[in-house]
Amino acid sequence: MKDITKLIRRFMGILLLSTVLVIVLNIIILAVISASQTANGRPWTTAKETAEALQETETGYVLTGDMSDTLSRENAWAIYIDNDTLEVQWHTENLPDTIPMQYTISDIASLTRGYIDGYPTYTGESEDGLVVVGYPKDRYWKHMSPSWDYDFIKNAPYTVLIVIGVNIFLIFLIYMIANSKLLKSVKPITNGIQALPSGEPVYVREKGLLADLAAKINQTSDVLQRQKRNLQRKETARANWISGVSHDIRTPLSMVMGYAGQIEDDESLPEGTRKNARIIRQQSTKMKNLINDLNLASKLEYNMQPINPKPVNLVAIARQSVVDFINLGMEEKYPIEWNTDEALTTCVINGDKELLKRAIGNLITNSQTHNPDGCTISVCVEKRDTEYRIIVEDNGVGVTDEKLEELRTTPHYMMSDSGTIEPRHGLGLLIVGQIVSAHKGAVSFAHGKQGGFAVTLAFPIIDIDDKQQR
Amino acid sequence: MDYDYLKYKKILIVDDEADLLEMVISILKQDGFNAMKTAGTVSEALQICKEWKPDIAILDVMLPDGDGFSLFERMRTFTEVPVLFLTARGENEDRLTGLGLGADDYMVKPFLPKELSLRIGIILRRYYKGESPIVQLAGSQIDFDRAEVIKGEEHFPLTAKEHDILSALYRNAGRIVTIDQLCEAAWGDNPYGYENSLMAHIRRIREKIETNPSKPVSLITVKGLGYKLVLAGK
Repeated sequence: MKDITKLIRRFMGILLLSTVLVIVLNIIILAVISASQTANGRPWTTAKETAEALQETETGYVLTGDMSDTLSRENAWAIYIDNDTLEVQWHTENLPDTIPMQYTISDIASLTRGYIDGYPTYTGESEDGLVVVGYPKDRYWKHMSPSWDYDFIKNAPYTVLIVIGVNIFLIFLIYMIANSKLLKSVKPITNGIQALPSGEPVYVREKGLLADLAAKINQTSDVLQRQKRNLQRKETARANWISGVSHDIRTPLSMVMGYAGQIEDDESLPEGTRKNARIIRQQSTKMKNLINDLNLASKLEYNMQPINPKPVNLVAIARQSVVDFINLGMEEKYPIEWNTDEALTTCVINGDKELLKRAIGNLITNSQTHNPDGCTISVCVEKRDTEYRIIVEDNGVGVTDEKLEELRTTPHYMMSDSGTIEPRHGLGLLIVGQIVSAHKGAVSFAHGKQGGFAVTLAFPIIDIDDKQQR
Repeated sequence: MDYDYLKYKKILIVDDEADLLEMVISILKQDGFNAMKTAGTVSEALQICKEWKPDIAILDVMLPDGDGFSLFERMRTFTEVPVLFLTARGENEDRLTGLGLGADDYMVKPFLPKELSLRIGIILRRYYKGESPIVQLAGSQIDFDRAEVIKGEEHFPLTAKEHDILSALYRNAGRIVTIDQLCEAAWGDNPYGYENSLMAHIRRIREKIETNPSKPVSLITVKGLGYKLVLAGK
């Protein structure tokens, strides 16, 4: 399950990235907030500045500079406690009534850490006393016992890191637990979806989070199976129909051919009659070939033609096809050349001898059919790096570029679903293509070297061990 | 037909189409055969086989009371008569079933009259070769029964391989037989890599049958493809 692993890895990546981003974001937000805090607060500084700004003059203490404005803007009050008398020597106008005017040392200690009567207070040292600035009660919250273990502060950075680490780990853990269930139910679903295109029946257990999805996959598989069965049934019916028709037509055609052949051979009959009989015989032979071709083509198309693969020698097969053609006695009009290198004696593939012979025979016949005025046909077998090639070529009329393109790209009318009934070419080349592809080979069409038509059948070279060959 | 003695062989033709039977008879009659009987059913065919003892049987596969394959098997229980299947069933499996059972040939309808009589001739020659004549070549004669070549006054014995090769050539006299077919005839199935041995044997055969072995006229080489045996007067 490569895809699932990939999915998990991607999820993890996203999670990790988002965690880091969130932490960074938090730090930034924290920094911004603290910065703004410092900017508008700074009560300790204010207290210190107030202490510095407080000057003793002949008329008493005076707050110089803008400090009184600053204080009143903050709604804060201030007092000055003398070091010796511990009495309030000076205070701002807005001092609340409840603030005492006399302090003990313990009062001082308390107000330094915390509050006077609920007002948060901050102290600043001046020459002979202490300036205390008090803020409105709801302005600041003071931490009264701010002391930590030294080690705690020393180890704080590590502690923070460990905490962050543990947090991340926890998040992962929660994520994994939460998702493992989902992933567990996703896996059979993805398996099911991946198995669907193979055409085999697929069943996914309808359980877990994605039971609905599983049910849909099962339904899809059922639909596909049903369609496949229907299609197969139709194709079988069609192939059977063609096979039945061709069977039934054989006996009547035998009679036509038989009697025509007899009339043709009867020397006591007039020449004209015998010639007519020959034409009948030739045409019925054509019909016979057509029926055979149609039957074979439909069987190959619907995979109903059993292929009996055995180690076969392509050179022997090609040679046999050529000799069969020569033995028909048409060599005068269609001289045939065997151009295989004599050193090449065996090209073994796993194949069906009869079908392969049929393919080569069809190509030779094709050259003959398209060149009624005769042509030289050349057959050769070649061994290339990864494939064996059988090349059947003629020097006849050849084909136009358009026709070549059509042969390469247009499906045969028998296999075409475009509804056209215009026959493009005979079944011969179609069967060649079917036979070659049943042997995992490839057919290519080209112009011949001498202007005619050339067909190359290429078969991949396979390893067949020597024992089988012998 | 060249072999007159074969024309007296008794031929049984089994088919359920009366018209076809009539035609086959007329074809074979034209070819010189005289002794023929026909049957339309399996039972009729078996009865004729037992009583008339034909020398060759031509069987259709689809018969009203059974199929030709089982008829053939039942015939084999009491007779070794050579059998040619002549049928409208052209599927490879059928062909293989027929030949696999041990039939001598299998022909698919429709067929040419000439082809039928040629094939019957081949089967008969092969089966009744005890009566086969001595084969006449341009410069010699081959006596397959005694496995020897008679050239003038001299008699040359044929080795087993030479006999196999010559028989294969003779069965297809006048036609090219491929190198591969000849190797198969001499060395059996999947005969790869025997091309050079075959050439050596051909050379020795020529020494026996040709007047001038370096200019052969009876055993002709077709370059790259195979060999052809030319009979005298052809």
